[in-house]
Order: sequence, then C-alpha cells, then structure tokens
Amino acid sequence: MGYRVGVDIGGTFTDFCAFDEDSGALHTLKVFSTPQTPGQEVIAGITGLAERYGVTPQQVTYFTHGTTVGVNTVIQRRGITLCLFTTRGFEDVLEVARLKMPDPYDLFSGRPEPLVTRDRVFSIDERMLFDGSVDTPLDEASVDAAIEGVRAVGGEGVVVALLHAYRNPTHEQRVAEIIKAKAPELTVTCASEVWPVIREYERTVTAVVAGYVQGRVAHYLDSLQKALASAGVPAEPMITKSNGGVMTAEIGKQECAQMLLSGTASGVIGAASVAMETGARAAMSLDIGGTSADVAIIRDGTPQYGIGEVIGEFPIYIPTVSVTSIGEGGGSIAWVDPHGVLKVGPESAGSTPGPACYDRGGERPAITDAFVVCGFLGQAALGYSAVSMRTDLSETAMATVAEKIGKSVQDTAEAVIRVATSGMYLEVSKLVSRHGIDPRELSLIAFGGAGPMMACFLARELGMREVVIPRVPGVLSAFGGLIADIKNDFIRTVYLDLETGSLEEMRAVYADLREAAIAWIRDEHGYEGAVTLLHSADMRYRGQSYEIETPLDAEWIDSGDLNAMAGAFHAAHERIYEHADADAPVQIINLRLVVVGTPPKPKFAPVETSDAAPVATASVPVFYDGATHTAAVYARGDLYAGQSFPGPAIVTQDDCTTCVLGGFTATVDPSGNLILSREG
Amino acid sequence: MAIDKVTLEILKNHCRAAAESMAFTLYRTAHSTFVKETEDFTTGLTTPEGETFATPVELGATWFVGLNYGTVIRMIDHYDEGDICMTNDPYSGHVCTHSPDMHIWKPVFHEGEIVCFVVGHIHNTDVGGAVPASISRTLSEVHQEGIRIPPAKVVKKGAFNHELIDVMLANVRMPEQNWGDLKAQIAAMNTGERRVHEMIAKFGVETFKAGVAGLLDYAEQQARSIMATLPDGDYFFDDYLDEDAAGGFPCRIALTLKIRGETCVLDFTGSDPQIESSVNMPTGGQPRHALLMVGFVYILYSLDPTLFLNSGVCRVAESILPEGTIVNPVFPAAVGLRTLSVQRLQGVIFGAFAQAAPDRLPSSPASGGPIMNVNTIDNRTGRRVMAAIGAISGGAGGSPRGDGTEGSGANASFLKNTPVEINEAEVPFKILRYGLCQDSGGAGKYRGGNALEMIFQAHAPNTRVTARNRDRTRFSSWGILGGKAGSHSKFVLNPGSNREENLGNVDILTIGPGDVVHIASGGSGGWGDPLERDPAAVLWDVRRGFVSTKAAEQSYGVVLTPGGVDEAATARLRADLARERPKQEGFFDYGANRLAYEKIWTRANYDALTELLAATPVHWRFFVKHRVFEAIDALDPVTLAGDGSDVRAAFDGVVERFPQLRAALAA
Repeated sequence: MGYRVGVDIGGTFTDFCAFDEDSGALHTLKVFSTPQTPGQEVIAGITGLAERYGVTPQQVTYFTHGTTVGVNTVIQRRGITLCLFTTRGFEDVLEVARLKMPDPYDLFSGRPEPLVTRDRVFSIDERMLFDGSVDTPLDEASVDAAIEGVRAVGGEGVVVALLHAYRNPTHEQRVAEIIKAKAPELTVTCASEVWPVIREYERTVTAVVAGYVQGRVAHYLDSLQKALASAGVPAEPMITKSNGGVMTAEIGKQECAQMLLSGTASGVIGAASVAMETGARAAMSLDIGGTSADVAIIRDGTPQYGIGEVIGEFPIYIPTVSVTSIGEGGGSIAWVDPHGVLKVGPESAGSTPGPACYDRGGERPAITDAFVVCGFLGQAALGYSAVSMRTDLSETAMATVAEKIGKSVQDTAEAVIRVATSGMYLEVSKLVSRHGIDPRELSLIAFGGAGPMMACFLARELGMREVVIPRVPGVLSAFGGLIADIKNDFIRTVYLDLETGSLEEMRAVYADLREAAIAWIRDEHGYEGAVTLLHSADMRYRGQSYEIETPLDAEWIDSGDLNAMAGAFHAAHERIYEHADADAPVQIINLRLVVVGTPPKPKFAPVETSDAAPVATASVPVFYDGATHTAAVYARGDLYAGQSFPGPAIVTQDDCTTCVLGGFTATVDPSGNLILSREG
Repeated sequence: MAIDKVTLEILKNHCRAAAESMAFTLYRTAHSTFVKETEDFTTGLTTPEGETFATPVELGATWFVGLNYGTVIRMIDHYDEGDICMTNDPYSGHVCTHSPDMHIWKPVFHEGEIVCFVVGHIHNTDVGGAVPASISRTLSEVHQEGIRIPPAKVVKKGAFNHELIDVMLANVRMPEQNWGDLKAQIAAMNTGERRVHEMIAKFGVETFKAGVAGLLDYAEQQARSIMATLPDGDYFFDDYLDEDAAGGFPCRIALTLKIRGETCVLDFTGSDPQIESSVNMPTGGQPRHALLMVGFVYILYSLDPTLFLNSGVCRVAESILPEGTIVNPVFPAAVGLRTLSVQRLQGVIFGAFAQAAPDRLPSSPASGGPIMNVNTIDNRTGRRVMAAIGAISGGAGGSPRGDGTEGSGANASFLKNTPVEINEAEVPFKILRYGLCQDSGGAGKYRGGNALEMIFQAHAPNTRVTARNRDRTRFSSWGILGGKAGSHSKFVLNPGSNREENLGNVDILTIGPGDVVHIASGGSGGWGDPLERDPAAVLWDVRRGFVSTKAAEQSYGVVLTPGGVDEAATARLRADLARERPKQEGFFDYGANRLAYEKIWTRANYDALTELLAATPVHWRFFVKHRVFEAIDALDPVTLAGDGSDVRAAFDGVVERFPQLRAALAA
C-alpha cells in the first residue's frame, strides 16, 4: 500500500493532500506557488511531504494534479501566436462575439481584444449547410493562401472553425490535413474536435482558447511527468478537469481545454463529497481565498454544471462545474467614497502586496485586516503560523479608513466585515434567485484559506441554518482531485424534433458516441475498471432559444419511448422555470454522453469519538456585533467526533482558521466535519 | 431619522439584492421566448410615493432607472394587503410608454402601513390590435395598438381578478404567453415583497424607511457631484429622424441643455410636432419622465460608474416638453415604435453633453440598426417559420479613451445576436455574410466603431422580411472635434445585379427564392481630427480589415507600403490634406446629407417652422408641416434667404390654400 497525493496550485499557495492507504489518515501541506517556474512547487511539496510526514516519493501510488498554467496563459496573454481559419464571410466571429457588452449602462463598456486579432483571421472558400450537406466544396487553393497568410504574420498555430462543421467536419479535417502536410511546424486545432456543438461563436472561442494554451500546457505537463519520474514517483500523474473528473497527463496534453478551470471544479467536488457525508440534500460551497470568493450549488451530492464559464476574459463552452464569483476574497480593499460611504472591493490587494498584516508593503486595509483587528486572526494565543501577521499594521491601515468615517478602528473593522458580507449576500441572492432556490435550505460548506473565517457571517445574512467546515478546509481542491472520477463528455448536435422519425438518427448518433466514449476510457486512458455511461439531451420547446440538459435513460432511446423523453424534459422545465407545456412540440438540439470510470476511492479512518467536553487551549477577546466577546480557542486536531461547543469560539488548524460566532453551536460529526448549527 | 453611512451601504446591497432577485425570478419563470431573448423587462422598488430607489443592473432593460410610478399609484384610490395593480395604457399616467409593456405594482405593508411598492414591467409579445406584435410604424392611433388596461387591480387581497384577466386574454393573439408572463411578473412581485419584509425584520422599519430616503439622497448627491464637474452653459443640439412617415419628411428633435451648477434643464422646445405614425414618445410632459432620462442616466453613469442607479439621479434634471410635439404627444397619438425616436433622443442628449465635456465623452453611437424578423415557409417541412435574425447593429462612437467598439456598444450594449448557425437551422435561408462593414465607422483621431452587415438569400416564395427601427439611411451619426460622421445604414435588394433596388428606410419587404438582401447598420461617429490619428493605429486597422488602404490615405492621410507606414509620404500627404480641406465649421461633423439639407432648412428656418406650428392647433400641425415642406421643396434653393422668411412665406401660402386652417388658427 502507499499514498495517494492530490496537488492543487493556486495563486498564492500550492496545496497538498496526502492520503495514507494503510492508516486511512489525511495529511496536508501548503507551499508557496512559484508562478515563474511552474512545476517547481510540486517537487518542493513532494520533498516537504517526505520531510514532514515521511511520505517517500516511491510510496506515491496515485497522483492527481490541478494547475493554473492554462488559465494564467490566457490571463497573461502568453500563449502562441494563433491564427484562425473561418468560412469566407464570417471572419469577424470573434470581434463581434454575441454583441452584448458587460455593462450596458456604461457608454464606454467594451469587449476584450480577441486572442486571435482580425489580422490573423483567414478566409476559406467552402460552405456546409445546416443539414451537413456541402453547398460549396472546399477550395484547396484558399487553404494554401491562408497558410501563406499565417506565415506572413508569423503564426505558430491555427484554429480551423468552419460553419456547420459540428454537423459535418470533413472540410475542417481536410483543411487540417493540408496544414499538417504543407506547414508541419504549425499546431492545428479543429473546433469540431474540441467541442462539436452548434453556435459558431461559442464553438470558435472555445477552440481558440484551447489552441492558444495548448503548447504551454503540454510543455508543462511534459516537464511535470519528467520531474515526478526523476523524483521517483511511480504513479502516472492524473490531471483534474473542469468537469470535476480526472484524465491522464498524456491525454491532458491533447485536451488542454478540459483542464482550464480544474482548480475551482475540484474544490466543489471536494465539497460535494462533504455534502454526501453530512447528508445535506442541498448545499452551497463557499471557497474564499486571498483573491477570490466563489460559490457553487450542490444538489444530492452532485454539483451543477454549466457552459460559458469564464477563463480570464473569455467564455469557454465545454461542460464545467458551475462556479459563481461573489467577490475578491480576503484581499478586497476597504475604502471610502467621496460621499463618506464605506465600500469594500472590487479592488484587491491580491497576493502581492496582500493585506497590510502580511507586511509585504500593503498599506490599505483588506478584509483579512478587518478580521485581524477584530481579533479573529493574528493573536498570539491563536498560534497561526502559516503566514506571520503584524496586527499593528492592520490597525494602522484600518485607521486610515476609520478617520474618514468617524468611527473607532475596531468599529470600522467590524463595519468592513459587515459591508463585505452584504456584498456577498447580494451576489448569492442573484444566484439563488436565478435557480429558484431558498438559501435558508442550503448547507454552507466553507473552505479555502478564508472561507471558514467568513462563513458564519454570510450564513447569518442569508438565513442559513448550517455551516460545514470540512476536515481539510485549506486544501479541499487538492482533496477533491484525490477522490475524483475519470470522466469525459461527448456531444453531437442533431437539431431534431422529438418524434418517431428522429429515433433512427438518435440511435445512430448514440452508437457513435458510445464507441468514442469507450475508446477514450479504454484505449486512450487505459482504464480497465467498471464504466458508467450517462445519457442526456439538450432539449427545448420549439421556438425557445435555450436548452435544458435533460438526463435520459438509454432504454428510452432503444425502445423508442418518446413519452418518457418528453416527460423528462417537461419535468426538468417545470423544476427550473416553474411551468411546462405538455402539449408543446419538443426539440432535441444536442445529444450528450458522459463516460465515467471510478477508481477505488480512499477509505478514511473513522474519527475517534469522545463523550468528554472539548478542551479549549485559550480564550481570546473578539469584537463583533458592536461588542467584545470572549471566544474559546480550540485546536482542530484535539477535537473528537461527538464533541460540541458553543460560539463564540475560534478553531485553529494548520491550513486555516474557523470563526464560530455566538448563536452557533459547533459539533464534530462522525466523518470529522465541523458542523456549525445556528440556533433560533 | 438619518441613517449612518455604513448601514446605508449594507441596506443598499440588500435593496439591490431584492431588485435583482425579482429580476431573476421574472426572467426564470417568464413564458415567452421574447422576454428571455430581449430581456425587455424591469423590476424595482419604489417609495410609497412612487420614486424608484432600487433597480437591477444585471438583467433587464436599461431604460427605467428613473421611472416614477406615482401617477399610477395615485389612480388607485385604496390599497389592501395582497393587492396587485397593472396597466398598459400609455395615456394613463405615462408610466407605461407603449401598449406591449404591462406595468405592475404591489404595495408592501408593514403593520397596516404601506412602506414601499414593488414594481416592474414586461414587454408582451402581443397585446392585440391591428398587427401581430401590436407595433407598426404605420399605425396612427393608440387604439390600433392593442387592448389598453387603465390602472386596475389584477389581484385583490391575494385573489386573481379573473374578469379583468379574461378581458385582456380575449383580446390578444397568444393569450397563454401573456398569462404565463403575467404569472412570472406576479412571482417577481411576491419575491420583492418577501425581501422587503426580511429587510424590515433585519434592520427595523424606521431604519428601512430612513435607508430608502438615504439611498435616493445618496444617488442625488453622486449625480450632483458629477454635474458639478461640467461647465455651466447653454448647449444646443438637434438631430433628425430620416422620415416622419413612410416616404415623409425629416423629423427634428431639438434640445437646449442648460447646465447650472449641480443641476440642469433639458428644454426640448424646437422638437417637431407629434406625428401620424407610431414613433411618438408619450411623456405626459412630466419633467423627469423616464424616457427622457435614459440618455441623461447613460451620461452620468459613464462619467462615474460608481453611480448608484435610482430616481435620485434624476432629481438634478428637469425637462421642458411642449405639448403636441413628438416628445409630448396628446392622446390618441400612436406610440408603439417610440424605441426608434427614444434612441435618437438619447443621441441628442449625448450631443448636448458632448459639447459640455468633449474631453470626457464619446461622439455619436450608431443607431438605425433594425430588429429583423423573417417570416417564411420551410420547404423541408411545409411549416411557417418566423424568427428574429441579427441583430444588425452599429458600434459606439470614438472617444477620448479610444476607438468605439465594433458592431455594438454604447446605448445598444444590451443587444444580443442570434448565431448564424441557429438562424440557418430555424429559417430556410442562407446567410452569405455576417460581419463588420469596412470604413463604416467615422474617421477620427479615435475612430467610430464599424457597423454590422448581413447578406442573406431567401429560399422560399413569400418570404416576409420586417426590419423594425430602421433609420439613418439619410442622416448620419455625428463626429466631434474634427471626427467624421459615420456611414449610412443600408437596405439593398439584390445588390450588384440588374435587379438591384435601394430600399431606403423601408421596413417591410416580401422577397422570393434567390433574392439577396444586404442590410447594414449605420457607422458611428469619430472623435478628434483623423489627421492626428497615430499612423500605427491606422496600419493596425488596415491589417484587421476595418479600414481600407484607400480610406487610410483619403481620410487619415496615411500612406502604407507592404512593410508598414511610409512615414515621409504620410507626413507630406497629411500636410497637403490639412491645407486643402475646407475648414470645418463648428464642433460637429454631420455628414454631407445633413449639410446639404441644412442649406435649405437652416436653423432660422426650422425655428420659424417650430414657432409657427406651436401656434397651430395640434391636429393641424403634422398636415401643415408637410405642406410647408412641399412648398419649400418646390422652390429653387438658390432663391432661399435662410433667415426664416422662406418658411414664413410658405406657411402663409398654406394658410391661404386652406381656409379651414385660417379658422382654426383664429380660434
């Protein structure tokens, strides 16, 4: 037996989570990220695990990894010089996008410059029609001319995105062949291969992001494989995906677009497993770090999936665990507007200089500083050591704001927390209203460096009854990777009416998709265990312009049970929109298939139970709700299952600090999660 | 009680959360695809007197920030808890501004007292009347624009008023959609009411009330601070709709903006008489009517995007709206297509403010891009299909911050398009091109954004193409400080063939298989002297295909070689162009057509017309305007004095011809 190790690279820290397959114990570790030399922190962490926990590289039998290399490539615009080939007449697809601007009230609101600017877009003479028939055959001379164009602008790679190629990719494939033959130095990405779905902008921008980052990501994964091998790690690294699954690094080199949002996704996967443990039917994950605050909805242990999630400035349309930003995290800066109104964010101190208390040059007060001033962080008795904190610097920074609003430093700090909380409340309100969810019924699963610190404040604002702090809140994304399934998505646009005449095509398409899915998991991935195939369809009423992904039973398609398919759609429509029309004609736009392979899951050691009252290590003064309270301090590692204590209290552990406000009672559940229940 | 400013900020977030939650609830539960696609709806919270203190900014129409429900609230003489009221009558209180907009409001009670209203509207796809969708430029009376419901209770103490609902549903073409959308509106109202009750439970009723007043005051203070940065003065600006009727004459909207310290007056005296088609703007003469405030809110928000959007912003402005004009029509003038004129009115406000702060504001955005629908038979299924295609919009104007955005932006930022692939899947036609028109943005140191164009070919006979809101085929969007006007919008049938036909501002067209339609929005205006544009930026535009090599030389004086900019030749050409070009008079470039038009219709002539028509009975004005225009058109332009006397003489001639008019004038 050996160790399973999950690693997640964030902006400031790289998180490690190691599971001992013999003892069932979980170890955690944080090291500073090294964005200048990506991969180095992984090796640093491997060394750290050995030093601290005696985990030798040779014992690592399973290794999962989430990286921000891809997303940073987009944000920093450090990808390749990419070109785009489009059907003639449609070259402006990236320039006009879907027209809508981010802030419709601002006359200056604009779109980001595309990753492929218009001078690097070249026209191909060809035309497919909607039904996949050829309207104008491919003129290969136009491909030659386009390749010349690429050379003239110094292009390093090409994305081929032709109209209706989701339906018939032969022209795209032929163009790719020609490029490979005549310009083998260029990378080629066909949009119909990245995510073959109707809607030209969405398909094109997704392929462009994929083509843009591919070189850098593949290079990174290659170096990582080598570094791990030379460190003596026997396991082939698995890469976490935006869909919450994992794939091998080898596949990752080809399918880079799949891993762009893997960090946030695997955090939600970790939270979903916690929701399963606590039995919460509906939960919201709350992931607050130094520079971001994200939430996601989890129902029955399954996260919501979305498309159009944003990478840097660009949406990407592949299945992704749906995460909503509700703020800028612990680094959000407090300021006072010219009318004397206290504001928090959107400006953030980021990871450099960071909040004032980090003593790295930050002079303006951030949310983290407010928690320091109120006594939740930085007091010696709290023994927090991951980053040393200068409480005096927090106070000095907070005083600059206090002076402007005419309040004491402490009152100001509390006001900063309240204003920040109300801003998060606003964003969460939008999210739950969009989905028709009552927030009071949600269990709040808080993690990330600052999530457990702010969770009680947000839960009170939203009327939530329960907050859950996982065992390893500071490294939950790394943990999520450890328990993730092998998973891939397949899609085909069919645009069919739901009627008997469509069944033949549906069956044929599903046969194709199943073949591709099995080939992916068995041949490409080399996975030999049991496989689950999940069928679904993007459906809508005729005349609608948006689809609902509706789970289907494969049996319905085989037996031609149209009523069951329609019924599933009507029910999904009713659940989301609160109405359905059983008589309206239904269309199927896309058929989807998800292939899932489940590697053996970690079996965690049970948490020891105790009837004894938990022992506080200290008590400290904390300030909130306009008064000073005395908070008992507990070390997370000293707590046993079944133990319970009231707030106000502070729970410390290696990777983060949990604030338990008055009115909440903390209980350790049998899995070791800390459940904070709100009274009244 | 005054509210402390920390609590104010927290309450602000809660109020916005309430408004946004209402919007998301409405959007999620609405039935009609139209609402989902266009987001033509609003939600909000108002004071018991009707002032909007919180609106959503994430979803919904951008037009109703300053909407005041006071007039319709007061038309209901008694409210009980659980009541919900509605109206879609543009002439009952002027909250509703065209019949498809169903406005709804619900009092929120606390211990028997109304503490606020939750409000909102939805644009129904159809409310009956002469044409499907209830809107057509050809309509002249509001009665033709569908059923009108004056303010009435649709829910009484929590129970539906089915008699009223049945009357409405009996009069509309797709009753199940209206009913579904009404239920969504009601769900949104109930969401808002619940949120208000939660706020009161959290903050206390006195803090809530003080907070509401505080939020209006806060927005007002912010608006005052922004206004204070603008220099005092009177700024006149006018612009024209191409036509006041199909094939008619231009229609002027005129504004004198008077900035005085932290406040301003928008005086629309000089605007044309109300017209016999549906582009009138029903404001009831209210000095802060929401339709008038849209452009004003855009300006203030763009100058400072931290501005909290509510009615408080509008307290710093007042309008003067002469009765019987396009900005204050009298019943029963049709108003359905006021979108077209409101967009032009926004541009007029932008033009006036641009003179006050040219170093901070953009030149004219494009407008005149249509909402396109195609209605045809699908050869594959024999089914009739109707689909919205496009949008075919234009960009933002150039500004001191840089070039205008391409293809959309500024006051049309809310538009979304339909993908080409979806269009072709839904409609049996083929799109030959959808993209940006080269050289359509006005030249400038900072260029206007290019317009979008679409070329498509029909596949079936009797394919009906409707292009609502078309304009700008004659008069261009304007440039400032040396920046040039944008290109005209286009609507051409079978371009480049011997059957080519320029369709001008036509908005309905029937075509057959093989016919090709080319439609383009107008370009937007440039900012600053194009000869001062960085040659590298011109090169970049040429490389991206946004500007042609020819325009690079002619408009920008930039000479390009295959390798880049020919610096020496550029310097020479720029010097030549600077010497040869006519000295630009004034702040604006309006384009050649307006220049030619205003040789005849000088400011003095037009002011004379306005003055004479203002003294003419309302129901005569449109008729008299047309006769005067015809009379002026008949004259040899070189004989015109341009000092108003031409128009006075023409007017006298009209009075001479129509003795009935003489009697009406005397009365």
